Amino acid sequence: MPATDSALLTASAIRKSFGGVEVLHGVDLHLARGEVLALLGENGAGKSTLVKILAGDYVADSGSVSSGDKEYSALDPIQSRALGIRMIFQELSDAPLLTVAENISMGSWASKGGIVSWSKMHERANSALAMLGIEIDSSRLVGTLRIGERQLVEIARAISDNAQVLILDEPTAALSSAETDKLFEVINALRTRGVGMIYITHRLDEVGIIADRVQVLRDGSQSLIADAKKASRLELVKAMIGHEISNQAHPEAGMHSGETLLEVSQLSLGNIFSDISFNLRAGEVLALYGKVGSGAEEVGETIFGLHPERTGTLTLNQSAFTPKNPIDAIRAFIGFLPADRQRLGAFMVRPVAENLAVPSWPRYASRGIITKVKENAAYMRWSELLKIKSRNDPDQPIATLSGGNQQKVLLSRWFECDAKILVLIEPTRGVDVGARRDIYTTLRESAKKNKIGILITTSDHEEVIQVADRVVVMSRGKKVAEYEGKNIDSSKIIQTASE
Amino acid sequence: MKTKAAEVKAGDLEKKPGRSVPELAALSLFLVALIVYFSWASEYFLGVENWINILSAVSVAGIIAVPGTMLLIAAQVDLSVGSAAAFTGTIAGIWINSSGVPLGILFGIIIGIIVGVLNGLLITRLHVNSLITTLGTLAIFRGLSYIIGGGQTVMVPDLSYLGLARPFLNLPLAVIVFVVVCIAGVLVMKYTTFGRSLYVIGANPAAARLVGIRTPRVILICFIISGVSTAIAGLILTSQLTAASPMAANGLELSVITAIVLGGASLNGGRGTISGTILGLLIIGVLNNGLVLLNVDTFWQQVARGTLLIIAVSFDQLRERWGIKHG
Repeated sequence: MPATDSALLTASAIRKSFGGVEVLHGVDLHLARGEVLALLGENGAGKSTLVKILAGDYVADSGSVSSGDKEYSALDPIQSRALGIRMIFQELSDAPLLTVAENISMGSWASKGGIVSWSKMHERANSALAMLGIEIDSSRLVGTLRIGERQLVEIARAISDNAQVLILDEPTAALSSAETDKLFEVINALRTRGVGMIYITHRLDEVGIIADRVQVLRDGSQSLIADAKKASRLELVKAMIGHEISNQAHPEAGMHSGETLLEVSQLSLGNIFSDISFNLRAGEVLALYGKVGSGAEEVGETIFGLHPERTGTLTLNQSAFTPKNPIDAIRAFIGFLPADRQRLGAFMVRPVAENLAVPSWPRYASRGIITKVKENAAYMRWSELLKIKSRNDPDQPIATLSGGNQQKVLLSRWFECDAKILVLIEPTRGVDVGARRDIYTTLRESAKKNKIGILITTSDHEEVIQVADRVVVMSRGKKVAEYEGKNIDSSKIIQTASE
Repeated sequence: MKTKAAEVKAGDLEKKPGRSVPELAALSLFLVALIVYFSWASEYFLGVENWINILSAVSVAGIIAVPGTMLLIAAQVDLSVGSAAAFTGTIAGIWINSSGVPLGILFGIIIGIIVGVLNGLLITRLHVNSLITTLGTLAIFRGLSYIIGGGQTVMVPDLSYLGLARPFLNLPLAVIVFVVVCIAGVLVMKYTTFGRSLYVIGANPAAARLVGIRTPRVILICFIISGVSTAIAGLILTSQLTAASPMAANGLELSVITAIVLGGASLNGGRGTISGTILGLLIIGVLNNGLVLLNVDTFWQQVARGTLLIIAVSFDQLRERWGIKHG
C-alpha cells in the first residue's frame, strides 16, 4: 500500500521528553487513506506518547505533524480535531445514562433555536450506525449495552463527527471473540470509506488479520516497519523486546521449590476464565502471565475469595478450600496485594505503621485491646529489611511516600502477619526501577527463606524473567502454556500469550 | 547500620513536632483566647458555678457527639440523634410513670439499642448511604414521638431528682455522664481494635475489606453505641425538664455535627479525634455562655456559632493544603 500518493497523516522526527528523560527519539509515522497501521511496542516504548501527540494532548519538543497542505509543529487538541483525528480510548468515555442517539450526537446536538430535535438526532445516529453495519437500537441507554457495543457506538460517534483518522487503543483487550469479529467488520467498513486507522495492540495474531502495515516501537525509537501480512510473529517479538534485554530466567529460578501448598484444579469463572489448573509450591515464585483481559488477575482474586461464584476446586494443605470472602482467605494465611494501590491497597491518610499492621491487629491484640508499640516496632523492622525510604516516622501518612515505597509497606503487611501464600496482582505497576529491583529481591528471598508460596499475576514479561521460578501463561481466559526454571524465555511467553 | 540508626533519630526530632502538633494546637489556642477575652469582659465568667453551667449546657450534645465522632471517622453520619433522643425520652417517660424509674430507664436504653440496630442494619444490609438513611429515620422517630405521646408533653415528675442530683464533686449527673463517655471514647479509639478499625474503614472501605476488616459488623456496633448514647441523652433531657416532650432536642443533630467538624474530624472519614470534638464542644459552650453573660441577643449567638464553624473549617482546609505542599 503506497503511502505517499494518498497520504492522510504524516508525523516526522517527533521528539518528546518528560522531566529531562527523552521518551521519543525522533519517530516518524505515515498513514494513508483507508490504511490500518498496527502500532506495537512494550509498555513504556512510547506508543501512547506518540498517539497523544497526534491527538494534541501532548506537544512534541520537535518534529512536525502534517495532513494535506497543513503542517504543524505543535498540534493542539482543537487543531487535531479539525484534522479529523479521533481517539477511541480503552476506558470508554461515553455517558451510560444517555441513549445511543444522544451519545452519538454528544457535543453537537441537532437543534433548532435551542430546542433539541430528537427525530433529527435519531436519524443521524441511525445513519452512522447503518453506515458501519452496526445493528443497535439508537433509543437504548448506552449503559445497557455490552462493552463491545459501547465501543462501536463510540466509533459511530467519531464517524458521524467526520473522523478521518481513528486511533484505536487496544480495542480488543476487553472484547469476546464474537465482539472482536464484529469490530473487525466495522474496521473493514471504515477502510473502504477511506478512514485511516492507527491500531494499538498487544495481540500479535491480530496484526496479520486486520492491519496493512505494522510499526514497532522500542524504547522510543522505531525498530521495525513492515508489511503486516508478511511480518512473522518471531520478527515482531524480536523488534519489540530487542536483544539487549535478558531473555533468560534469573539463575536460581526453580531451584528452591518444595512441597505443594495450593492446588488449583479446573477453576472457572463465568466467561472470564475457564479450566485453569496449576500447583503453587512452597519456596517458589509462580507467575501467571497474560495480557490485559487474559483472566490472570481474576484467577488471583478468586484464590483470595473475591469471586465466590467460581467453580472448580482449590486444595490447601490437602483439604478443600472454599473462600467466600477475603476474611476466609486471610484466616488460611493468604495475603493479597491488589493492582490498584490507591483505590484498593493503601489507607492514604493513615500512618505508615498502621497501613502495615492492620491485618496483624488480631495477633497483636488481647481481647480487643491494642497499643501502637508492636506496630511501630514492626514498621521500623520492615522498613529496614525492605529499604523503605521514609522519614522513619511510623506516624507519617503513607501518602507522603513514593509509589515504590508504598508498595513495600503493603507487601510487608503480609510478611508481618505470617502469610504462607501471597497473591500479588501486578506487584510493580507504577513502581520505579530501583524499588522494583528491591521488591523482586525481597520476593525471591522470602519465598526461599520462609518457605512461602508467592503467586504473582502480571502482564509484564520482564517481571516474569526477573522474579519467577515458574510461569503459567494465560490467553483469553485459558491456560496456554507452562514453563519452569531455565525454560522460561521472554519470546516464548510473549508468543504464547498472544495466541 | 549504626549510622543509619543515628539518622533515624535526627530525622525524628526534626520532623515530628512540625506535623503532629498543629491539628489541635490551633483549636486549643482559640479556646484559650475566648476564655481570656470573656474573663476580661465579664466578672462572672471564671466562677466555678458558671463553668458547671457551661459543661451542663454541652453535656447532652457531648454524650451524642462522642459516638458521632466515631461514626464520622468511619465516614458515617447519624442525623437521627435529635429525634431519637425525643423518641426514647418519650417512651422511657411513659414507662417510668407506669412501671417505675429503674425499669423505665432500662426500657429507654433498650429502645436506644433498637434505634441503633435499625439504623445500622439499614445502612449495612441495604447499602443505603447513612446520610439518607438517618435523614429518613430522623423523620420517623420524630413522628413516632408525637404519636406515642399523643402530641402532648408527658410529665415525668419521678425523674426530677436525677435532674437535680449532684452525686460527685458537686457536679450534676449529666456532666459526670459526659465526662465518663468522653474518657471511654478516647480509650476506645486509641486502645481497641474496634476503634482503630473505624479509622481504617473511613480512610478506604474497599481496602479495609481486603485486609479482613468486618466493616458491616463494626459499623453496626458503632450505630448501636450511638443509639444507646442517644437514649442516655434523651433520659437526661427528660430528667432536666421533668418532662418528655416530643419536640425535645429539635435540631440537636446539627449542634452535634458542628462540634465534631469543629474538632477536626474529616467529612471524608479516616481522620478525627475524640479530644478534638471535646475541644469543639467546649468552644461552642464557652462562646454561647460568654455571649449570654455579655447580654448578646440569642439570635446573634446563632450567627456567631455559624461564623465560627465556617472559619474553623476553612482554617482546617488551609492547614491541610499547606501540609501537602510542605509536609
